[in-house]
Amino acid sequence: MVIEVEGLSKSYGAHLVVDDVGFTVTEGEIFGILGVNGAGKTTTVECLQGLRRPDRGVMRVLGLDPRTARSQLRAVVGSQLQASALPDRLRVNEAVRLFGDGDRGSAQRLLDTWNLAKLERSSFASLSGGQRQRLFIALALLNQPQVVFFDELTQGLDPLARGEVWDAIRDVRARGTTVVLVTHFMDEAEALCDRVAVMRGGRIVDAGTPAELITRHARSTTVTFTPPVWFDPAALAALPGVDRVERHGEQIRVVGTNQLIAPVCASVLGVDQLGPPDLRVHHPDLEDALIALISDTGADHEADGAAVPVAEGVG
Amino acid sequence: MRALLRLAATELKLFVREPMVLTFVFAFPVLTVLILGGVFDEDDPNFEGALPSDYYVAAYIGVVIAAIGLVMLPVHLASYRERGVLRRFDVSRYPRWALPAAWILVALIITLVAVAVLLVTGHLIYGMPEPDDLLGVLVGTLLGAFVFISIGIALGLALPSARSAQGLGMLLFFPFFLLGGAGPPPDAMGDPMSSIADVVPLTHVVRSIQEPWLDLGSPADHIAVLAVLAVLATAAWVALSVRTAE
Repeated sequence: MVIEVEGLSKSYGAHLVVDDVGFTVTEGEIFGILGVNGAGKTTTVECLQGLRRPDRGVMRVLGLDPRTARSQLRAVVGSQLQASALPDRLRVNEAVRLFGDGDRGSAQRLLDTWNLAKLERSSFASLSGGQRQRLFIALALLNQPQVVFFDELTQGLDPLARGEVWDAIRDVRARGTTVVLVTHFMDEAEALCDRVAVMRGGRIVDAGTPAELITRHARSTTVTFTPPVWFDPAALAALPGVDRVERHGEQIRVVGTNQLIAPVCASVLGVDQLGPPDLRVHHPDLEDALIALISDTGADHEADGAAVPVAEGVG
Repeated sequence: MRALLRLAATELKLFVREPMVLTFVFAFPVLTVLILGGVFDEDDPNFEGALPSDYYVAAYIGVVIAAIGLVMLPVHLASYRERGVLRRFDVSRYPRWALPAAWILVALIITLVAVAVLLVTGHLIYGMPEPDDLLGVLVGTLLGAFVFISIGIALGLALPSARSAQGLGMLLFFPFFLLGGAGPPPDAMGDPMSSIADVVPLTHVVRSIQEPWLDLGSPADHIAVLAVLAVLATAAWVALSVRTAE
């Protein structure tokens, strides 16, 4: 076990930010801590990095207590912090030398690996968002840590840069480093994490693999399309696997289990006809699971106010 | 130790790359030398019997010390806090005391270099008097520099942003500059202004350098004030750095 947390609580004044949180992270996995802003994710990992003192709870990182073994852990834990910049006039190679162990060879290899070698004379201020984020990752990995914390790794990055960063994180894991990833981007968690814990209001509301969370909290597949004029949407409700059929303006939305897609498509397409050009199928993903988990009712978020029910399914 | 030297060397580079530091610590004091050294008549009686250009030598040094403590350090440190650089050091392998230790070391080095630039400039243009008590001058300079470095670290850790540090730094720097020895001589000031000048910390720095330099009396009471200020300012930044770490 690389990280063990039990009964962790932290309040700022009267405001309880982390409330009885417990989880474990095993060696070599990418563990995600998910939740909306203010759920207590960052405070939790700041406690684990020894940056904040929790009010209660047991924490072990590589068998050590971050409260008392600060300096021992600094040598084996890497950190990329949320909202932590570098001085504008610090150059890339200076940053690597400053935070590294002074070994020029390993610093140079790291610059090469993270595609920063060409930028080594550039000042921090002149780097793009993606370049800065790559530098932060490189700095977090400088001294061959056994555990790395990444907090909001891809905030503010364009899709291309996010993809690069994701590949980089997979490389890190492939080299045997355990990764703790704090994020509110569900696609990121789904793409990278082996296991995730979802936080809400300072508590962990559920944990498991992304697939487990999707199965538990977001089972509905949705098919939307604009039907041909001759089409009777009510007939769809009789199909196996269809829970309900709704009308959103011109469009029909069919909600049901995964297996409904084929019958709905077949029914819409009919025989010898082109299907509706705007047919879309939405499979349940981690975002649906998270929204179900963090909304009070746990209801399917797709059922919004604009919907007019056409028919209920037969089950 | 090597890591600490590397940290200090990096901090030194960052300070020197800052245009504000170059302006206030190097350019402004040299301008002060050029102006103050030539502004008064040589036989002006307000300078305790000294030549005006000699009298102002200690004030030039005071200007450097004040610029480092009230402008350079607060702006640099507050920007570190504002941008989360301090937190980055918190998760690095540097111990907590490494960064303040580097700041003190680097600020002392910058003080000595800037003072040397000043004295050479002043000497070439107006000539410099031999210090009467060189050891006393060194004690006054180093203690004064240490007081203002400590004040600078405390201000930098207390203020939330570089902008606020710049604002407050300027607000303190100019009155200190004018009342602390680089303005009119105390004998030429009215009573109220002269009493205000007595509570300006820079006055005690300048007097602690000036009195042994020109043999104007014992600076013991000024040295005592500086010693108390050094303890208070150090206690303030130590308390602040513990607070920001929680």
